Amino acid sequence: MDKNLIIELKNLNKSYPVADDSFFALKNVTTQFFKGEFSGIVGPSGSGKTTLLNILGSLDQPTTGSATVLGHDISSLSHQSSADLRNYHIGFIFQVFNLLPVYTVFENVEFALLLQKKSSSERKKAVMQALEWVGLADKAAKKPNKLSGGESQRVAIARAMVKKPELLLADEPTANLDAENAHGILKTMKTLNRELGTSFIFSTHDEKVMGYLNRIIHLRDGRIENDEEISNPKFA
Amino acid sequence: MKLALKLAFKNIYGAGLRTILNVIVLSFSFVIIIFLNGVMDGWNAQAKKDTIEWEYGYGQLRHKDYDPYDPYTILDSHAPIPENRPDLTPILIHQASIYPEGRMMNIVLKGIPADQQTLLLPTSHLNAQEKQYPVIIGKRFAASSKLNVGDEVLLRWRDVNGTYDANTIYISAIFDSNVPTIDDGQIWMNINNLWQMTDQVNEATLLVLNETSTPLESTLWNFTSQKELLSTIEEIIATKKISSSIMYILLLAIALLAIFDTQVLSIFRRQKEIGTYVALGMTRRKVVGLFTVEGSMYSILALFLASLYGTPFFIFIKKIGIPVAEADQEVGLAIAERIFPIYGFSLVIGTVIVVVLASTIVSFLPARKIAKINPVSALKGKIQ
Ligand SMILES: Nc1ncnc2c1ncn2[C@@H]1O[C@H](COP(=O)(O)OP(=O)(O)O)[C@@H](O)[C@H]1O
Ligand SMILES: [Mg+2]
Repeated sequence: MDKNLIIELKNLNKSYPVADDSFFALKNVTTQFFKGEFSGIVGPSGSGKTTLLNILGSLDQPTTGSATVLGHDISSLSHQSSADLRNYHIGFIFQVFNLLPVYTVFENVEFALLLQKKSSSERKKAVMQALEWVGLADKAAKKPNKLSGGESQRVAIARAMVKKPELLLADEPTANLDAENAHGILKTMKTLNRELGTSFIFSTHDEKVMGYLNRIIHLRDGRIENDEEISNPKFA
Repeated sequence: MKLALKLAFKNIYGAGLRTILNVIVLSFSFVIIIFLNGVMDGWNAQAKKDTIEWEYGYGQLRHKDYDPYDPYTILDSHAPIPENRPDLTPILIHQASIYPEGRMMNIVLKGIPADQQTLLLPTSHLNAQEKQYPVIIGKRFAASSKLNVGDEVLLRWRDVNGTYDANTIYISAIFDSNVPTIDDGQIWMNINNLWQMTDQVNEATLLVLNETSTPLESTLWNFTSQKELLSTIEEIIATKKISSSIMYILLLAIALLAIFDTQVLSIFRRQKEIGTYVALGMTRRKVVGLFTVEGSMYSILALFLASLYGTPFFIFIKKIGIPVAEADQEVGLAIAERIFPIYGFSLVIGTVIVVVLASTIVSFLPARKIAKINPVSALKGKIQ
């Protein structure tokens, strides 16, 4: 088996009960992801992108089929192992930032490290480094409500990256940003992808995002329609 | 746990007005629970001390036929005082009546040695030389009989043969005691006089022990320890405590309800935050813990607030005491005009534990639901 293989999906289905029928949000999805990829799941709204990302992050479970993420079978993970997987190995970025409003920027970024029970000096060093990556070291003491949208999403990136995860899942991270800020965070993420070797999987229907991706998986009505390699992306 | 405390503190600090209200109401409960119980404990201690000093001494030996709750037993309940026991203060009880201003009042006549040291009764006044039968009475009886120091009044009693006899007694002193059971309807005279009047020389109805007393083996006398004597006071105070608790139980209930409500609301309003915690690697169980600690944190903050204004208040009241209304003094239990509360260590710690525990429970009940939340729905804010 390829040691660069980090995710393997086999005949993945996800259905929700509707009335006395089932609605399939994901249909027979089979694919693989590899270490260091900067890939995206692209499709119109309702095509199943978020559902797929949530399963990859072990926030949700497949109805049938299997999802193996970083060596773990998502269907059979205990609550604790699933939490550990997210705490140590998977970072999330959301469309709506989801910063914790009562914490400062520093504390938001520090959170995952607190859960990991890292020492205060280790935490400080890692948090400041992560804030350097996203260019917000000077905003460490600010509360999220004092930040612009672009800055908030940068904090979210720092929060997801501070633990140096193998995998970063970004669900429409640019949907609430203007073009300039969108390009800004994408460049930052691309740099982190190159320098830290973190694998990125986006969900998006934003052309700007697609311009950075090395691989685009087209999803339509829960089915993979097309899977294309992009050898020289527009903005790379 | 440390993490939960830190997070909880931040969250509650950021929650604003609701937090302040919850904390204020809860802090009132703290202060009132401690205050009311402190007053009761203060009363209890004062009542016990007074009753020991004025009535119970270090236990009593009662004549086997004597029942303090049945006046008909008095006539036949007397026996010779045990020999060589100077530590025992004999009290001989007899029924009689007096005629102040021509009215008749039934009273209990009690003979006690004028030189006794065990009880605080000012019995040295029973040696007054001016008149033949000097007696002392308490302030309550003085008020109800309208007798004053120096007054003379006619006393009538039945001697052992059942025939009436009469004499004039002289009020040589009025004593000020908080203990109504040695005061209301009672006249204290020198036991030597009562012995002669009743022809019961060297006899007593009951014997009061002092600090140095040892037990007495006798079939004539029933021993009742100081502790048993005081148990009635304990019982009455305990009942009073329960009835006064209504006030703070209501207050505490309001505070706990407010915390419960805040918790229910915050779980609904903070779904995305809950989802985010899970996405960042907290187990849902840990999030339940976080919200529970957050709720019990209200009680910690309330504790700080309560000690801030409660401490000076408690110290002040302890200094000046609580004035007791005239009407409340008619409870049949020793009660001073001012009660000085006692805030015992166990009262304070007990209150803290109860309040913290109760607020933790009402925080946990709604927070428990988080364990069943679907993190995906929470992140989408779709939990109803
Ligand atoms: N809990 C659910 N119950 C029923 N249908 C759902 C639920 N979650 C998502 N869906 C449906 O699944 C489909 C895919 O949703 P989603 O993954 O959010 O799409 P996308 O992120 O691509 O917009 C949508 O049609 C959505 O309505
Ligand atoms: Mg979506």
